[in-house]
Amino acid sequence: MTQEDTTLEIIAPTVDEAISMGCDQLGLPREAVKVEILDAGGKGGIFGLRSRQARVRLRIISEEEEQDEPAVETAPAVVKSEPEAAKADAGLDDEKRMVLQIATTVLEGLLEKMKVRASVESSYIENGEENEEPVLLLDIIGDDLSILIGRRSETLNALQYITNLIVGKELGHWIPLIVDVQGYRIRRERQLRQLARRMADQAVQTGRRQLLEPMPANERRLIHLELRSHPDVVTRSVGEEPYRKVTISLK
Amino acid sequence: MKELVEYIACSLVDSPAEVHVKERRSGNRVYLELHVAKNDMGRVIGKGGRVANSARVLLRVAAAREGKQVNLEISEPR
Repeated sequence: MTQEDTTLEIIAPTVDEAISMGCDQLGLPREAVKVEILDAGGKGGIFGLRSRQARVRLRIISEEEEQDEPAVETAPAVVKSEPEAAKADAGLDDEKRMVLQIATTVLEGLLEKMKVRASVESSYIENGEENEEPVLLLDIIGDDLSILIGRRSETLNALQYITNLIVGKELGHWIPLIVDVQGYRIRRERQLRQLARRMADQAVQTGRRQLLEPMPANERRLIHLELRSHPDVVTRSVGEEPYRKVTISLK
Repeated sequence: MKELVEYIACSLVDSPAEVHVKERRSGNRVYLELHVAKNDMGRVIGKGGRVANSARVLLRVAAAREGKQVNLEISEPR
């Protein structure tokens, strides 16, 4: 997770196992996390059965200490190679191509006036959910674009909102549109879904309500969706924007 | 910065000819005052100020590029 303030609690038979499990789940080396041992666990039983498990909390050593925005890692995989990304041009009707053109021009115009040097790659992606309308994805590509994401995706969401309004005004109707930076939202979505499942497991294991970090509405929505069909937990959002957070508790 | 506000405002209003942005600089602070037609006030402010606040967030990026701080106000037409 590239976000600041992100913590992960891990329960495993031993402290060492918990740490390495956590680093694996986060995909980060041991040096990239601060470890807080919540419970060193207890010996007893065979193969750790029936003994008290160790609990550690991993906090990602974030860019927060160096800069305010989460860093954009240079995406190793090009977004286009994502399975859900459709080919940019193939099989687009004229209207879709025109909408894509308008939206790209609007976003490029905004970026230019924000003095950000970057290019925009546009494509339609199939929405995995019940909504069949393909979504227009505008991915901003360039160097050092973490400034376009901002804290809790604030800048990215503002850019998406304004782009969507201007495009809607030009077309005379609203269209589903996502503005992304180097595939950040797609990576973040994957991480959030993982996080949701992990925290649900933790809620079940500990029997205690789990409180997630504050997130913007679209990210909270992902957590709710991911756990919608979970048999044992319910999700709820509490607090006020921009500090609204998801809680996961037992049914 | 001024161009960014003008671009956003002109793209959202019904009367782009009535969009005016006044810029005042003082030290490293930039004060922008946006004027639009009365009927267009709602469009540039948005529900709960959402449009205005998003514009301010984007302005902050442009300002940071120049090492400045920016303040955007939206005023009733004179």
